[in-house]
Parts: sequence; C-alpha cells; structure tokens
Amino acid sequence: MELTLLLFLPLATGLLGAVLGNRLVKPAAVLGGLGTLGVAVGLALNYDTALGGSQFTVDKLWVKPLGIHWALTIDGLNLALVVLTAFVYASVVVACAVREQENPRLFYFHLGLGASAVLGAFLAQDLILFVLFFDLMLVPFYFLVGQWGTGERVAATTKMVIYTLAGSLLMLAAAVATGALAASHHGRHIDFLISNLQRLPLGKGTQQWIFLCFAAAFLVKMPAVPLHGWLKDAYKSMPLPVLALFSGVLSKVAAYGFLKLALPLFPDAAASFQDLLLAIGVISILYGSALAFTTNDARLVVGYSSIAQLGFILIGIFSLTSDGAQGALLQMVNHGVVTVALVMIVGVLASRAKGSEDLGSMGGIAMGAPVLAVVFLIAAFANLAMPASANFIGEFLILKGVFDSVTVVAVIACLGVAMAAVYMLRAYIRAMHGPDTNGVEQRDLSFREALPILPAIALILALAVSPQPLLKRSEGPATAAVIPAAKAANIDPIQTATTAQAKR
Amino acid sequence: MSLTTYGWLVIAFPLAGSIILGLGHKVLKGKTAGAIGSSAILLSFLSGLGALRSLQSRPEGSRQVVSSLWTYAHTGGLDVQFSILVDPLSLLMVLVVAGVSTLIHLYSVAYMASDEGYVRFFAYLNFFVFSMLMLVLAGNLILLAVGWGLVGAASYLLISFWYRRNTATKAGIKAFVINVVGDVGIVLGAIVIIQGTGAVDLLTVFAKAPHVWHTNDPQIVVGCLLLMVGAFAKSAQVPFHTWLPDAMEGPTPVSALIHAATMVTAGVYLIARMHPLFQIATTASDVGAIGGAVTLLVAATIGLVVTDLKRVIAYSTMSQIGYMIMAVSAGVYGAGLFHLMTHAFFKALLFMAAGSVIGAMAGEQNLDRMGGFRKVMPITYGCFIVGGLALSGIPPFSGFFSKDDILLGLGTQGGWYWALYVAGYVGALMTAIYTFRMIFRAFHGEPCEEAKSLADGRLFHAAEHRNPGDGTLEDTGVGYPGAKHHIAERSPSMSISMGVLAILATIGGVIQLPKVTNTLDHFLDPTFRDSPKFGIPIDYNLMAIGMVIGAVLGLLGIYMAWVIWVKKPGTSARIQARFALPYKLFSNKWYFDEIIAFLIVRPFAATGRFFQRTVERVVVDGAITAGPVSIARASSAAVRSWQSGMLRAYAAAVIVGAALVVLYLMLQA
Amino acid sequence: MNIGWYLAVSTIIFAIGAAGVLTKRNALVILLCLELMLNAGNLALVAFSRMWGNGDGQIFAIIVMVVAACEVTVGLGLIVAIHRRGLAVDADELSELRG
Repeated sequence: MELTLLLFLPLATGLLGAVLGNRLVKPAAVLGGLGTLGVAVGLALNYDTALGGSQFTVDKLWVKPLGIHWALTIDGLNLALVVLTAFVYASVVVACAVREQENPRLFYFHLGLGASAVLGAFLAQDLILFVLFFDLMLVPFYFLVGQWGTGERVAATTKMVIYTLAGSLLMLAAAVATGALAASHHGRHIDFLISNLQRLPLGKGTQQWIFLCFAAAFLVKMPAVPLHGWLKDAYKSMPLPVLALFSGVLSKVAAYGFLKLALPLFPDAAASFQDLLLAIGVISILYGSALAFTTNDARLVVGYSSIAQLGFILIGIFSLTSDGAQGALLQMVNHGVVTVALVMIVGVLASRAKGSEDLGSMGGIAMGAPVLAVVFLIAAFANLAMPASANFIGEFLILKGVFDSVTVVAVIACLGVAMAAVYMLRAYIRAMHGPDTNGVEQRDLSFREALPILPAIALILALAVSPQPLLKRSEGPATAAVIPAAKAANIDPIQTATTAQAKR
Repeated sequence: MSLTTYGWLVIAFPLAGSIILGLGHKVLKGKTAGAIGSSAILLSFLSGLGALRSLQSRPEGSRQVVSSLWTYAHTGGLDVQFSILVDPLSLLMVLVVAGVSTLIHLYSVAYMASDEGYVRFFAYLNFFVFSMLMLVLAGNLILLAVGWGLVGAASYLLISFWYRRNTATKAGIKAFVINVVGDVGIVLGAIVIIQGTGAVDLLTVFAKAPHVWHTNDPQIVVGCLLLMVGAFAKSAQVPFHTWLPDAMEGPTPVSALIHAATMVTAGVYLIARMHPLFQIATTASDVGAIGGAVTLLVAATIGLVVTDLKRVIAYSTMSQIGYMIMAVSAGVYGAGLFHLMTHAFFKALLFMAAGSVIGAMAGEQNLDRMGGFRKVMPITYGCFIVGGLALSGIPPFSGFFSKDDILLGLGTQGGWYWALYVAGYVGALMTAIYTFRMIFRAFHGEPCEEAKSLADGRLFHAAEHRNPGDGTLEDTGVGYPGAKHHIAERSPSMSISMGVLAILATIGGVIQLPKVTNTLDHFLDPTFRDSPKFGIPIDYNLMAIGMVIGAVLGLLGIYMAWVIWVKKPGTSARIQARFALPYKLFSNKWYFDEIIAFLIVRPFAATGRFFQRTVERVVVDGAITAGPVSIARASSAAVRSWQSGMLRAYAAAVIVGAALVVLYLMLQA
Repeated sequence: MNIGWYLAVSTIIFAIGAAGVLTKRNALVILLCLELMLNAGNLALVAFSRMWGNGDGQIFAIIVMVVAACEVTVGLGLIVAIHRRGLAVDADELSELRG
C-alpha cells in the first residue's frame, strides 16, 4: 500500500496543484516533491536489511483477462534507485519553484507524471506494468520539451519520441511474447509477473530475439552509441530542471531494466550477446568522452559525459559478475546525483555569462564566486570518478568485474577514465578559471540557486564517506541478477579469495 | 593513547584544518588562517611523534598495526575497510611529510601574506597534507588509491592556484591528467593484485603473495608494472615527467612542499610499501630501476641548461627522485628512504630560498636576469649554499650520506647494477654542476637592478605585473606577487623555517652513518625484515671508495661550475656553440612534450573532432537518425494522401468496401 | 407474400439513397439520402422479423429510428451552424480534415 502511495504522490500533488490554481500550484508541487522524498526515505529506513528480499509488496490482479498484476515491491535492487528518483524529483521541483514558468499548472502536472512513471517503472514487478510505465515516462517529457523547451524544441521532441517509441514497441512485442510463451509452457492462464517468468526453458533463438528487442529499448533510452542521435537536440532544448530529472533518472530505468529483466529472464541470450553489449558499452565510453572534450556547450559536456558514464554502467552489468553489477548499481545512483548538481550548475554558469551556455563565453567566474567554484569542483571531481568519491568505488567495482570476466574491455575502458579527467577539468577551467575576457558576472551562488544544488553536493560527500549502505543492500539481489547469465557464459560471478586461489 | 589513535589524529588534524579554513574563508582575517593552518599541521606532526613513541615501545615483532574505523565498501568479491596501517615505514613518511609541511606552512604565513587567496591557500595546503597522510597511512589498496588520487587533486588545485594565469591552468590540467593516468595504473594494478590474492588489505596481500605467485609470475609482473605506472606518474619519472616542470606555475611553497619534498616521493613510498610484491616481480623491479636511472640522467642534463630558477630545482627533483626510485626498485629500501628524507630537507630548503629570491625579483624567475644577490641576501644565500652542498653530495652534508648509501647498496649487489652505480655517479657530477650554476648565476656576478635596489634598502616592485611564463599582464587579484613581496631577510617566519631546514639538511645524515648509527635501518627493520635484500652486509672497501668518488665528483662539479660561470664568464656560450646538438636536445627537454603531443594529445583531439564533426553528422544524424525518420515521413505521407477530406469519397469507399464484403460472403456460400 | 418483394423494394430504396449520397453535394440532401438508406434497412429488418415470426428485427428497427433521429438532430444542427457562419453547405467544400 505504501508503494502505491509513493508511486502516485508526485502525480497526485501535480494534479492537485493544477486543480487548485496558479497560486497554489508551486506549494503543492514542492510539498509533493518533499513528501515523495520523505516517503521514499522512510521506506528505505524501514527496509529490513537483515531480512533482505522483497518488502512492502503489493500484488493484485489488475487486468484479469490479460493476467496483468498491479505488483510493486522494494528490494535491494531498486531501493536506492527509488530513493534517488524521489531525491532528484524533490530537487527538481525545488529548482523549478524558485523560478517562473509559463502555464505552471500544466508544467508541474507533467513533472509529477514523469516522476510517478519513473517510480512505477522501478517498482513494477509485472512485465507489462513495467512496459507501461516505461512508455508513460516518455509522455510528459514530450510535452515538457515541446511546450517549455527552447530552440528547435518540436523537432527535438519528435526525434526523441520516434527514437524511444521505436525501442518501446519492440519491447512491448517482446514482453507479450514472453508472457505468451510462459503461459503455453506452464499450461496455465497468461500472466506477466516477473518472478513467474524466470527460468523459462526457451529455445536459444527465441531468447535471442526477445532479448534484442528489450536491449534495443534500453539502449535507446540510456542512450548508448550509436543510438544516441536524439540526445543532442533533446538536451539542448530541454528546460534545465527538466533535464536534471530526465538525465538523472530516466536513463537509469534503462540500465535497471537490463539488471531486472534482460539478464534474469534471458540468461542464455545475455551470455551470447555479452560481447556485443560490452562492445557497445566501450564504444559509448570512448565516443561519449571524445565528444565531451570537443564540444563547447556546457550542457552537452554533461550530456556526452552521461553517454560515457552509462557506457561504464553497461559494461559493469555485462561483465556478468557480482562486483560489476554492484558497481553499476552504485554508479547509477552516483551519476544521478552528480548529474542533478552539474545540470543545475550549468544553469548558474549560464546566468553569469549573459545566458549563454557556451564555454567560450565564460571564463574567470571563480573570482567572485568561491562557493560556486567549490561546489562545481566537487561535482566535477565526482563525475570524473576522483578517488575518494563514491563514483570511484562504483567505477572500481565495474572495472574489477569487467577485468575478471573480459580483461581487454577493462583495459580499453580505462582510457575513458583518463578522458573523463580531461573533459571535466576542461569544462571547469574554461568556465571558472582563466582571465575574465568575456565580462562575466562574478557573483556567488544565491540562496535560491543553492537550494537545489547543495543537497546534491551533500549527498555526493556523504556517499563518498561511506558508499557501504548502498552496497550492503544491493549485494544479494545484484548477485542473483547476474548468476543465471554468468552460468550460461561460463563466468565465475563472484571472484573471492577462495575462488581466485582455487583457479591458480 | 594507543598507536592507532595517534595515527587517526595524524590524518584528522589537517582535514579539520582544511574544513575550518574552507568554511571560514569569509570570516578569517589577517594571518588567522595561516595560524590555523600551521597549527593543524603542527598538531598532526606532534601526533606523529606520539605514534613514534608508542610504536617504539612495542616489541619489534608487532610494529605493524592496522586499525579500521568503518566498512568502506563490501561486495561479493571485495572487503574494503576504512583502515590505516601504522608501521615504521608509514610513520617515517608521516614524520617527514608532517614535519616539512609544518615548516612550509610557517614559511607560507609570511610568503603568501599579501596574496588575495591567503585563506584559500592554507585550506588547499591543509587538504594536501591530509591527502598525503591518507596515502602513506592507507591500510589497503583502495584507500591507497584514494590517497593517491586526492594528492593529485590537491596538487592540481595548488598548481592552478593563480587561476587567472592561462599558463597555470594549463599546467594544472596537464599535471592532473598525467596523474589520472597514474591513478588508472594503480587501480588496474590493484585489481590484478586483488584478482590474485583475493584480498585488498595490504598486510593480507603481502602475507598471501609468496604463496600465490612464484618469482616473475606474469600476473604479478603485470600488476607491479601497472603500479609502477602510477609511481612514475606521481614521481615524475620518464616518460610521465612532463608535468613537473610546468607545475612550477604554483606558488613557491607549493613547489617546496608538494613538488619536491612530499607528493612526488609517493612513487618511492609505493614501491617500498609494496616491496613484498616487487620482490616477486623482479622484472618489474628492474624496469623501475632502469627507469629511475634514465630519469636521473635525463633530468640532470636538462637541469644544466634550463634558465628558469624554479625549473632548475624541479629538474633536480626529478633527478633525485630517479635515485630513490632506482634504489627502492633495486631493493635498497633503507637508503632510498633515507635519501627521500634528506632530499625533503634540502630540496624544500632550496625552493624556499628560491622563493625568497623570486620575492626580491618581484616575481621574475629567469636566471638570465638575476645576479649579485650574495651580499644583499645573506640568509637566502647561506641557505642556497647549504642546500646546494647537500644536493651536490659534499660531506658532511646530509645528501652526501644518503646518495652514497644508495650507490653503495647498488654496488654491493653487483651484476648489472654496476651500470646503475656508474649512472648514479655521472648524475652526481652533473648535479653539482647545475646546482652551482644556478647559485653562481643568481648570487654572484654583476648585481642586477633588483639587487642594487635591495642594496639601497628598497625591495623592488615592478610597475606592472607580468606572468613570467608567457609575459601577459597579471591580474593581481589572483596571481603573484600580490600587493607586496616577501624575502627571508625581512620575514622572521620565513627565515626561521629556512634555518631549521638548513640545520636538518646539514646534520640530517647522522641518523644513518654507515657503521656508526644505522638508526634508520634499525627503525625500518620491522617493515622490511622479510626482504632478502634488506640488511645484506656492506662491503666496507666499496663504501670507502664510493665516498671518496662521491666527494671528489661533487667538488669537481662545483669547481667546473665556478670556472664556467664565475671565473671565465664567456665559457658557457662557447660550450653551447661547441656542442650545439646536445644543447638543443637538452634545452628542448629531449622533446618529450612534442613527442607526447604528437603521439597522444593530437591524435586524441583529432579523433574527438572527427567524431564531433563527421561521425555525428554523417553516421548518427545521417544514416541512423535520418534514415528511420525519412521512412516514417514517407510512409505517413503515403497514408495521408488517402485522407482527402472529401466526404463523398469516404462514402464511396465505405460502400465499395461493404459491397466487396457481401460479394466475398456470397462467393463463400 | 414472398419476402423477395420486400427485399427488392428495400434494395432499390437503399441503392437510391446510396447513389444520392455519392452524387449530391448539398449536405442537406446527403442527410436525406442517408435517411433513405436507413429506412431501407428498417424495411428489410421488419420483413425478416415478419418472416421468422420473431420480434428482434422490429426492435432493431426501432433502435435504428432512434439513432436516425439523433443523427438528424446533430446533422441538421451542424448544417445550420455552418450556414450561419456564411459557409456553403457543400460537402466537397468542407474538406478541412484533408491530411
């Protein structure tokens, strides 16, 4: 029940605000955001780590003829991501509330709908429910870009929708096929509960095409190279807070989908396509990094770096090792938090450089803005996986996992680590350091600007001091998620002292 | 208090100092920040002394203590505790780092007094010391990497301290990226080690290593070579050294602390720390020893021709660290660490004295423009002489004993180590020459304008401040020399810290007089006792010969420098003309920057531009995006043409359709 | 009487209605022709109902009448609205929904 409440809270408060009128829409949305965060944190605190497994489960038959269940749960796999979503949503709502929007009632409604859909996708335990929420996520963003965006917003949003829908349709077909095949195999009425779909003795060919359909949907959403064509325009035209929500959590749903669905349901296919997905991941890392250090657009630096970071997450998952998967999960959370901070900082920088987000029009902002400089530096260091940040632990685990399973991929991926240092510092230096040749406004963070950024920074620091609370909860489920595929690929999913020595 | 409590305090004080300074940057006025920063480090040093007393009171067998505060990261294949390892080696490093840092903080109180970023400077400096102490005390591979990365970050912040200078920001990013390459080496090396032993905790790894790997097992050789990449990057060894000379863009105390005394010796510490592994991976150790030898020679040759005062000392640092890397790679741990310690004293001293000269020159660093400061800056001159003699290895100064100890260790082992032995003495000669070239050019000869003005009792102030790197006009808000400059002769805190270091540089050798004291070897024994090369008996004949050669070469070098630059001033120009080719090679720093730019930087940049301009447009926007989009457009256009908007056409379609259905049903029947 | 006659009449009326819908451009006339088609259908329904001695067809016919009444109301309302705006009540001209 709590989960249904959590899921609908953003949407309900958005709707409430829309009904109450222009004056009350902001308080309603902010309360909704903070409330969502509160409920999510409360659930996380009440989650019994010692017990583990699925908790707060809701499971009701929803659409009987099609066997679709309203099944939600929290387990070690999605716990952190749910909290992350709530956190990002709260930050974004606060960031929106300190500025003015055109037609705020509709704006906050869409924002709430987006957050609810993301929460739904993370919580869903029914395949069709997942697909439903996965597609629902797109709808509010279509409008948010189309109506509140800047520049070529209609073209951008259309491109994004076509890309994502193409992937989603494939996924829908694959989901229906999975349910139908399961029903005919078990000889009972069709149903889509993910737990019932595991361990299906599907033929390898069947598994493979279903897996590829899922993978296509997820790779578009992440996005991974070469399916990232929509990213540039969509990022360029999205309003900044919306971008924070979009980049912070939507891409994680896709990565989560790999762990939650693709690996456990189709282990043989995952094993046979391991090399392909590792290659896509590595290409994303290198290509994204290369784009990030040649672009002059501060926003696109964040965007392209996301491609690279999600490439790391992808190779972590497809290392098919426990460490890789845990690193990927940790990195999803880290990247979400860091992205929120960075996107908001881009907004602040632009406001100092006469509204331009071009790095060339900035320079020397640090002089009058020591707090901004420190905040930006922390976010930048975290994003480049500076040792001592939680991102470092995430990347370390990913690299370790990949190194244990496909060594050469890890070695190539390391290039991405060095490139991240180049593009993040380059962006930092060009914005904050150097002589003030463009007459930027040297003003420190105002209270309003700091409000959505500082919590993210605090979270980055807290995670840096101890990433263990996240790792502890995800160890079991992350391992369980990779084991079937690892077995199929003949990889030892847990490299421990004993196995390492036994091997020698 | 227990040993490990002291250990934690050692780390806690600088961190606390850094946080207090960071949060209070707006409130702290005057020299408060300097006082807070310095006392934080002093407290850290005192905690180190406490730890030393506590450690020495333990029996020799239990002088390696691990303490963990919390579980940092625990996964299926990894158990990382937030833990420190206190043992003689880490404690030696703590004392050197915290001790020298205290003096440099004290020096900075005056040196940076008129800088606009005074509080920021001490916040960064404290943060650096915290990182460095984290590095040396780290109890497992992950925390080692954390400390490793953090010192790189702190170093970046301090190199780019005067961030309005384009030269400084460029130097900063260069240093940071090369250090990240080193971090990657450490990370991959750690992964290899974890893969082999299944452990991250250093002592566990060391205990398991001999059982897991046989000598020169490929896995551990690869692992150690990767660690070596980290060590070389941090310690500025060829070919990862190009960042160090550029790092001289940072304020002089930073050069003294980070780029001479502490951070750059982290590579030496790493190899010494990991000695149980390097001893198994002998191939990797040999690579390290050769790398160190090459560096010591290459850097010395560049040091002979560079004209920037601080860069001369920087190349000298590279060269001296080459000795240390060579020593610890070859298993001569005691001597390597001994040299690390004495080098910290005399090199920090030289940098501080150089800072004083730069103060007198109002920010100018070019040796060509200096001269004749001997009379007007007696304290600075004295410190330069002491530091120079120690660096050149003239008895009885500390550098003499430590350098000789290294070469003796190499010579004792014989075999191809003789080549390293010879390289060491060749380097020693060059060291003496470039050191005294620098001293003679700055302090002797015709007094320059700045020296004359100082003789009249006025410290020189330039009318406008220019970046010594590229000559652009300085923003005095962020950048040397601020409103005023400071020299040792007029600032007690500068002269006190220089004086203390001068004493240490002079007498530092006594703790390891061969045959007499050997204190350091005894102290380090608990860490290195398992090492087969530690404490092998010394060949006393070789020692005597080495000492004589060392002293003679040092004096010869000084004499040559005196002849070339003082007695017959035109000589250097003649030598340059005579040996034009080597001169060109040396003064272009062996073209390392150009080679790296050609092999790495430019290809990467070109690839990035190619992706951005060509692949994005042609493949991603063209083939992948435009393809499906145009298919969708075309099919929608096709379907759309049916929607004529003509009601009667629709009606006709309905009727025809119905007729067809009826026809079909009739035919079926 | 043979049901064939009823069906024949129904078919003829339906065809006349359909032809009217297809050929006339005036919306009012099209509406009238639609009524013809509906009533042709009603005729056939009633005839079949009679033939089988079953009331279902008549019920259908009554429902069709109700629907037809609604349709005429809406249709005439639209036509009046179009006329009031000064537009031609011409089905071919009213092709705003062209794709």
